[in-house]
Amino acid sequence: MDELEAIKVTFFQECEELLADLEGGLLAMQEGAGDLETVNAVFRAVHSIKGGAGAFGLEPLVRFAHVFETLLDAVRSGSVPNTVELAAVLLRASDILADHVSAARGLGDVDMGASAAMAAELETWTDPNAAPAAHAPVVEEAAPVAAAPAPVVADDDAMDDDDLGFVFVPQTITVEAQAADAEPGNVWTVSIRPKSDLYRKANETALLLRELSRLGPIKATLDDSALPALGDLDPEAAFVTWSVRLETEEDESAIREVFEFVDGDCDLEITRGEGGVQDTMAALLTVAEAPAVIEAVETAPAPIIEISAPAPVAEVVEPVAPAPAPVVEAAKPAAAPAAATPKATPVEVPGPGQSVIRVDPERIDRLIDLVGELVINQAMLAQRVGEYGIAPSSNLAMGLDELEQLTREIQDSVMAIRAQPVKSVFQRMPRLVREVANMTSKQARLVMEGENTEVDKTVIERLSDPITHMLRNAIDHGLESPEERKAAGKNPEGVVRLAALHRSGRIVIEVSDDGKGINRERVFGIAVKKGLISPDLQLTDEEIDNLIFLPGFSTAEKISDVSGRGVGMDVVKRSVQALGGRISIASRPGQGSTFTLSLPLTLAVLDGMVVDVAGETLVVPLAAIVESLRPKPEEVRPLGPVGSVLAVRDSFVPLIDVGQALGYRDHSPAPTDGVVLLVEGEDGSRAALVADAIHGQRQVVIKSLEQNYQQVEGVAAATILGDGRVALILDVDATIAMRRRDGGTPRPTEPTLIAAE
Amino acid sequence: MPQASSISVLVVDDQLTMRALIRNALQQIGFKDIREAPDGEEALKNLLAKPANLVISDFNMPKMDGLALLRAVRSHPPIRQTAFVMLTGRADRELVQRAVQFGVNNYCVKPFTVQGLREKIEQVFGQLT
Repeated sequence: MDELEAIKVTFFQECEELLADLEGGLLAMQEGAGDLETVNAVFRAVHSIKGGAGAFGLEPLVRFAHVFETLLDAVRSGSVPNTVELAAVLLRASDILADHVSAARGLGDVDMGASAAMAAELETWTDPNAAPAAHAPVVEEAAPVAAAPAPVVADDDAMDDDDLGFVFVPQTITVEAQAADAEPGNVWTVSIRPKSDLYRKANETALLLRELSRLGPIKATLDDSALPALGDLDPEAAFVTWSVRLETEEDESAIREVFEFVDGDCDLEITRGEGGVQDTMAALLTVAEAPAVIEAVETAPAPIIEISAPAPVAEVVEPVAPAPAPVVEAAKPAAAPAAATPKATPVEVPGPGQSVIRVDPERIDRLIDLVGELVINQAMLAQRVGEYGIAPSSNLAMGLDELEQLTREIQDSVMAIRAQPVKSVFQRMPRLVREVANMTSKQARLVMEGENTEVDKTVIERLSDPITHMLRNAIDHGLESPEERKAAGKNPEGVVRLAALHRSGRIVIEVSDDGKGINRERVFGIAVKKGLISPDLQLTDEEIDNLIFLPGFSTAEKISDVSGRGVGMDVVKRSVQALGGRISIASRPGQGSTFTLSLPLTLAVLDGMVVDVAGETLVVPLAAIVESLRPKPEEVRPLGPVGSVLAVRDSFVPLIDVGQALGYRDHSPAPTDGVVLLVEGEDGSRAALVADAIHGQRQVVIKSLEQNYQQVEGVAAATILGDGRVALILDVDATIAMRRRDGGTPRPTEPTLIAAE
Repeated sequence: MPQASSISVLVVDDQLTMRALIRNALQQIGFKDIREAPDGEEALKNLLAKPANLVISDFNMPKMDGLALLRAVRSHPPIRQTAFVMLTGRADRELVQRAVQFGVNNYCVKPFTVQGLREKIEQVFGQLT
């Protein structure tokens, strides 16, 4: 039974995929996609869930899926029109189906009342004269039970045959007979060289070939080497020779019989065994040049016609069934399957289960760890070789270069294995939006973009919570009620947009709404009232918006079902920060708000600039660096008692000594003695980081500081360099924020400070 | 009396679950050489590359459905004698009718039991040992 339990686990996994397909298809239908392919895919998803559920005897699931499937079948056949209204109903039904799946899995319950009402509603669509919803429970019990597949334990055999009305006569296909068919039996080579008389008597080689094919599978090749150039061609003369490879149990006389009527009008040679390889090759080549002739033969009756003749079973049972139709194999062996599968295309998109290998994620994680070690090892090796002063043009150095290239490629490929489209997270969101909109009595439409954006699996897993929270927030707090929207001259249906995109080596998730935007006055007032900020603090609009990320801040005046679950935006912010991500909000009154969440694409590697600061080696993430420069004395201007700014082209950027910021030294050297890295934080704020020297760009493997030590402000993580030393990876945003705190106005983006004030 | 272990089977179903269930049932009957394909197209490629003695196929699949696969198998001489058992739902009477026309050897209604499947296969190959 253990094995069945394992299959059951597979079933539930597959159900997740099927439910996602179902929802995707229904959403497309709601957008107006009425093509049969979409409807079929939707039908198939429900059908498959029902099939699997039946095998495991999951009765309530089977019953609901059956009613659902019946309606979809009616849509598929066209008896129920495919409308946008119908799609909306089907979407709600898909939510209940998902609940049934969860319940069958032992996770959560199904609202049986809602399920019964939905089943009744579905039945009303299938048959408008069916009982109204009031009789729902009765209807659901009565109809589907009768039609539901028998439980697994039932002895369904005899019943099946009666059921479908077909009784198969016991028959015996022997494995030997199949083998005889599959493997070449008696092979004959028939060489036919028609004389012109043959054509004059209105005989046709194609007909002869067809006759031959009745004896067994044939492979005909044409030798037209004797064919003169077109100008010299005598149209009434014969020039070509056919060479036919025939597999048959019949004897030579049977083959000769085929040519009875053309006796003397062609040169006939019948030999046992395969023809000479050279002959075949030559013939094959010429076949390619004589398409017209081949085509003529190919238009012979299609094999299917004979197959569909009566009593096919008997024919199949016969050990040596006559071959059904001529088969002329062209030079390319692919021709045959291609002809039989009209939809065959060279580009294949692997669907679920097709050419997909399921691998335990732990194995991939282990592989990624190992590749990380390899990268470090390779860097160390390169460094040693450099230290020995080996010429870059030497074989050894060049070999190392190649090794580096390969290592990088391996790393990229391995990372690509673990990369997944954000779709897996996004596809859970439409339902969330429907539910939240229902609960808050708002009308919301979700628009998703960039679902195929790929991110490392480890990042994907942690995207779900923040996105869920941002979407809830957008509908609950962002969107107005339909009445308010109408009054404001907007469409009563609000639009919530969820988008994923790649931006400078990070993944950015945006959640925006077209609601009322943040009420800054109120947000400021609440922050003051809760003692989070002092009332006389001067804040920019953007800073006020970001107050909502402060711990303990909640703008909901009454705690709603939806957002008020004790988790504020501050928790979201902290969980995002723990991933090396950032979250911010931008809002325009009356036009809506946009949450922007940015995360590293992977938590495993980082492209960084290696720098020296106060005798320590640090890595600055390359994604944050805009440019590096050596400042001239006249570009450095003092600002306030301790700070200074750097003039970069038309603007001034605060100068930050990394050594001082991290506490390596108390007094900063003159910026003109070192190198300046112009960096840009997530929020677009710029700063000029002062370092003593730059060592160059390198890809480093991220080792978590939290896991191995503890979180340190201003430090994102650590890594191991080529020479084996541990280097810290700088957290650029935190460094900029630290400088603001120490050297400028307190910023509300730093909750700890404001709370402390 | 053919030995189940000497009969090679190709299981065709777009659902991983159903493939696993069929494979499990076949193993209980005694089959050893079991291959799988997720749709008709893959199944045909698979068969042409390496014939099987028995195909157990679902009907409703993306790309190439079970009927199309049956037709294709019957029209490719090297594999045309492959035994073909179609899996169907209870309501697919018409479907079986068409499958019979195309030369299906037997059919099995889902959900099936191990014993039920065994009997269907034995009707084709004779009693299995």
